[in-house]
Formats: sequence, C-alpha cells, structure tokens
Amino acid sequence: MCRDNKPAAVWPQTGEKGLSETASIRNTTIVKNAFREYYFHSKSVEEPTRMEQREFGYSLFGQKGWIRHLSFSSMGALVATLVKEAPSDVYCSNAYYRFPTHPMQEKDWLGAFLIFDIDGKDLDLPCVPSHTYLLCAGCRSAEPLHDQQSAFACQSCGADKADSVSIPCAKCIDASKKELKKLLGFLTGDIGIDQLAIRTYFSGNNGFHIHVSDDQFVTLDSSARSDLAGYLLGTGLLPESVGVRKGNNESLCVVKFPRGGIAYGWRNKLAEKLKIDGSSTLKLQHIVTQAGGYSAFKSSLDRTAREMGVKIDAQVTTDVHRIFRMPGTLNGKSGLAKTVFINPDSFDPFRDSCVLGDNRVNVKLKCPVRLRLKGKSFSISKESAELPAYVAVFLICKGLAEAC
Amino acid sequence: MSSIKTGTGDLAKYPFLNEAGEYIRQTGFSWEELARPDMANVLDRAAVRIEAGTLGMVYEDLERYETEILTFLVSLIIVKSIGLEPVLRKFALAEARRAEKFLTEDLKKQNDLQKRSLFSKIFEELFRLKIGVAEEDKRLFKVKVSDYLSRSSHFHEQEWKLVNRLVSQGDVYLDADETVRLIRNELSVMIYERVKGMTLPTLPETMRAKADLLRAKLLPRFDYRPTAVTDFPPCIKHALEVMGKGENLPHSARVMLATYMLAIGKPIDEIVSLFESAPDFNQKITRYQVEHLAGLKGSRTKYSVPSCEKLLIENLCFATEQCAGIINPLQFGRRQVRKA
Repeated sequence: MCRDNKPAAVWPQTGEKGLSETASIRNTTIVKNAFREYYFHSKSVEEPTRMEQREFGYSLFGQKGWIRHLSFSSMGALVATLVKEAPSDVYCSNAYYRFPTHPMQEKDWLGAFLIFDIDGKDLDLPCVPSHTYLLCAGCRSAEPLHDQQSAFACQSCGADKADSVSIPCAKCIDASKKELKKLLGFLTGDIGIDQLAIRTYFSGNNGFHIHVSDDQFVTLDSSARSDLAGYLLGTGLLPESVGVRKGNNESLCVVKFPRGGIAYGWRNKLAEKLKIDGSSTLKLQHIVTQAGGYSAFKSSLDRTAREMGVKIDAQVTTDVHRIFRMPGTLNGKSGLAKTVFINPDSFDPFRDSCVLGDNRVNVKLKCPVRLRLKGKSFSISKESAELPAYVAVFLICKGLAEAC
Repeated sequence: MSSIKTGTGDLAKYPFLNEAGEYIRQTGFSWEELARPDMANVLDRAAVRIEAGTLGMVYEDLERYETEILTFLVSLIIVKSIGLEPVLRKFALAEARRAEKFLTEDLKKQNDLQKRSLFSKIFEELFRLKIGVAEEDKRLFKVKVSDYLSRSSHFHEQEWKLVNRLVSQGDVYLDADETVRLIRNELSVMIYERVKGMTLPTLPETMRAKADLLRAKLLPRFDYRPTAVTDFPPCIKHALEVMGKGENLPHSARVMLATYMLAIGKPIDEIVSLFESAPDFNQKITRYQVEHLAGLKGSRTKYSVPSCEKLLIENLCFATEQCAGIINPLQFGRRQVRKA
C-alpha cells in the first residue's frame, strides 16, 4: 500500500484550520455512513474484466492522497473493503498488469483499454459563473461568485485565496452530452469501433467517461493514443489534407487534392464545412485567397477543426497507467454515482445517478443554494435545514454545508 | 498464402527473408569461400553497401541476384565485426530504405496475385500488418486504424498524424509509398536485431581485413560534440512570461518548464526559484516535484521534456518559424556539430 499525491480536494483535511475538528468529524461520519450504506446494498459496482490484473486505488474522507497499487481477486473482497473503509473515491486501472501491486516500473504492463473523459469544466460555458461558489481557503466559508469577480477577500477571515466549486446545471450537462454524441459519432464512424464495445458513464460530478473494450486498441502505447486523441480533438490539421498546398510565398497557394480524395473522415467534415468537393479546385483557391493566403487559411482551418472536434481531456486517454473512477462507485465531490447509461437523451444524471437514501439530516448551510436532485428542486436560503440524506451529502461534499 | 514461392529476384530485393539464407545454404556455400580471389567482388560490394548506408544513401544495385543476396549476408557480418552502434543503426535504416524502394515499386507494378504474395510474405508474416486493397481505387491500400497508429505515431512529420489521413469505418487509406513507409521502421529494427543477435563466425582473413579497414575509416565520423543552448524555444518563453506575470500556469506547463530546465543543466535551486511568483507557490512542494522530475525522489524515473506533439495537444505549443523541423523543445536552436 502506498499513498500518492492527488490534486487538492474541496473536502477539508482533518484538523484543517477554519473547520472545527468536531464539525469535520460530523461531516465525515454523515457522509461515510451514507456511502457505506450504499456499498452495503448496492449491486451497481461493476466487476472489471481481468479483475485480478487490474490495479485498484481509493482515497479516504479527510485524508490526503490515494491508497493505490492494490489488487482484488474478487468483487466480494472489493465490496468488503468498500463497506469497511467507505472511501470518498474508488479507482481501477484501465490497464492490466502481470503484477498490479508492484511499483509502477515493475508492474509489467500488458495492455490498457481505451478511455475518454469529457469534463464540463473544460467547456468554458457561460453559465458556469452563475452556479459557482467560492470557498475561502482559510475559514472554508462559502459565497456565490459575483459577476466579473476577479479578486477574493473573505468577509469572515480576510483571506485572499479561495477554491471554487460548481453545482452543474442542466445546460452544463447538455453541453457535455453534445460532446459525448460527437465523440460517439467519431468512434463508431471514422474509427470503426462497434457500438457494443463502447460503454458510456456519467462521471458522478460534471462530465462523462467513455470506456472502449475493443481489443485492437489495448496494446497501443501512449504516443499512439495521443495521436488518436489529436484526431478526436481536431488538432494539427494541415491545409494539405484538404488539398491546399503552399505556393511560392505566404499569400500564394496551389490547390491539388490528395490522391485518396476528400470523401471521408476529417477531410470530408471540412469539405462539407467549406462546401467543396473533390472537383472544386477554383472554389477552394478562392476561399484561400479570401482568407488571406496559405498561413491565414491554415489558422482558420485549425480553429474550425478544434471547434468541430470533441473536447476530451487528452491526458486521460494518453495516460496508460492511470487509475480511473470505477463504474458504479460514488464520487466524493458530489455523492453521486458513476452510472452507466445507454441513451444520452433520456439520461438525467441528477435523477439517475443520485443513489443515496432519503433519511433526514440536519445541516448548516454556508450560503443560499439552488439545486435539483431526484427530480425535486431545492432552493435553500435559511441557515439550517433538515434535508434528505442525498441532498445533505451532496452539499457537504461540495463544501457548501456542514453537518449539525 | 505460404504456398506462394518467393523467386530468386525477390530474395535479392528482400534478402532479410528467411528464404534468402536458406537459398544460400542450399547452394552449399561456406564462409571460407570468401577467401577466394573471385569473391573479392562480394567483399568490395559489401563495403560499398555499408559505407553508403552510413552516409544516408541507399545501395541500389540489383545485378546478379546471387551476388546481391551474398553481399547482404556478408554486410551483416562486417557490420557486426565493426561493432559501432551508429554504423549498425545507419546500415539497418539504409537496408530498410532499400527494401522500401523495391516494395513500393512492386506494389505499384505487380498484379493482384503477386501483391498478395508480398502482403503475405512481408507485411503479414514478418510484421503482422494486414493490408487490403481499396475497392474504390485499386491504387490505394487500407490498414486498420490501430495498426496504423501503432506505427505512424513514431513518425514526426505532421502529415502522418491520423488527423491528416483519409480515415473511414476503422480503416486508414494509404498509397503504395505510404503503405511501405509504415513498416520501414520495423524493417530497420528487424535488421538491427538480426545483427545484434548474431554470433560472429571465424572470419577469413580477407574479410577481417575489410572490416578493420572500414572501421578505421568510419570511426571519426561518429564522434559527436554537443553545443550549448542559445535561446529558449517559444513554448518555454511563453511559460516563463506567464510565470513572470504571477499568473497561474497549468500543471502540464510546469512539468514542461521544469523538465526543460533540468535537461539543459540548470541547477535545482534555480529551477525552484523560477516558480516563486506562482500564486500557489510552496517552496517545499515545488522542490520535491522538481527533484521528482529529475529522478532524485519517488519512482527515481528521470522525466524527459514533453515532445512538441504532446505540447501541441496540451495547448502549450507556440511554435514560430524557427521551430521548423524540431520534434522536441530541446532541439530548438541546438545544432550538433561534427568534428572535422
């Protein structure tokens, strides 16, 4: 067992300043109990294929780092650990190894399934500030983010640093779904992956995870995966791909369509956007001239391709040693589950992934909040409230409420 | 497909095929025969073949088939006997390019049956690469996306990126030149490994003398002298500017900056102080992280500077014209000077 660094979480560390130890313990107790109950009853934690060759890891509430390089030979053993520890987050490698519990260099990597991550926070959506809250780094008090706010000064303790948390809205989820559909289009179209080999999940917080179980990709190394990620993102497209070649100087160009034509893949997508086909030599020449020559056309093509590409987090796809959130487990940033779904249109993460119980819990709100869970809307403006466990846990996980 | 016989002509073009060695064995040839005066021609040709390779040229002769097959086998032994790694690498690459030339010609000229024989003998048997012919255009070949990626991702030219290829329904479409280019590295690696794994036979005196002569001639060419960094590449300059303004730099950019500074030999203290202006600077953590990247802490793995390609995907590339032809920020402005 070993602990690795992980990015700072909103969840306060035990004994952290600004939060009394008793409040911290109360929070941990409430959330851990809810998580433990879920793992005790749930049948949703998915058994990974080649389980004994995977590396597992988890993190605990109120503690820094990951406990990783673990191995479980059966789901029974894994679930027993989840019930005992009630971890904040549970991970499993997409890679499989001969020796999953050894240090990274000695694991003997055998292959890794392809994974993709679409994260709502990477989409730069205009709605985000309207549902973002600032958590003071000093006293953990919370306040809504104000319009155009660039600096932070805590009204309670005067600290000038804050973490931000967001309660994703329907628009955020819709935008992520749009990216998800684009990704599925690329994977089943150009890349030729069978739909049955693709499983789509809500990440449990603000995005989607896509797992591909097609064996032809498992041995690809990091640089091959990076090239595939580049294809999906639409980065590095050359004007030559659609037939535009550099002339004698920057403003000149020669149009000569590639031998294979422009009827498929990115070439086709861009041809449709530019409204050209394999015979539109003069039209394409005109488009490039209008754009201002080869270099200017290249920049505009690059922008267009990036807009048309899928906004995946390339690092997730490229990293072949990652431990990735395990399907069916709870996300410590929200208390929602990483849930599989088939139809993105009918899937509502705030209804379908909200799996915790509804026994009443008293909490102290740090600021007024609005949210929708399990099909019910909550607009809470008072300081203390008695809420269903799934709402209370969500707000505690976000750092916006404390258990009383 | 294995019933398709490889002709002697094919063996001269593709002498790395097992059948080539078998062919020579069947003629009853032994290494001692190389001492015969009429074999001087083979030794000379082998020396020319190796030297051409070390100069980045391809030996293109294809006159008497038996001689060419023998020349290839003798070349392998001389390269092994020379024992210089760069000579072996360059020779292996040149031999791969020689085969590449013949393969491309064959794919363009031959009929379907002959093409299938090539696919089977070389692409599938040696390199496990399945190739199909495009239905719409017989001059185009198709390979599976995963087969393409596992090979092309090691090429640095932008045109080989999947995004710049014709891709449809799981296949990548390539012309004859591109199809063969895809396996050049594997050909080269195969020839390299064959020489590496070889046990030198007792050489006839004429052959040993040839090898010694060639070694003495080639040795000075492979003595490199590195030069110092003259200027930071634009990606590093950009990261330094962002840092200088006290703005937050993404983790990936910090890794780039630190690995770059480590690679050019900056002391750890200096690198740590580069990050002082970061809003979340913590001396202790930064020092640990820089030492980790340097391979002094944690896993003891020394991290290399991310490639230009990786930086492009991570939006950390701010390439200028001076970046042309480089694949890693470390190559920016650096020229390797050969000793005269």
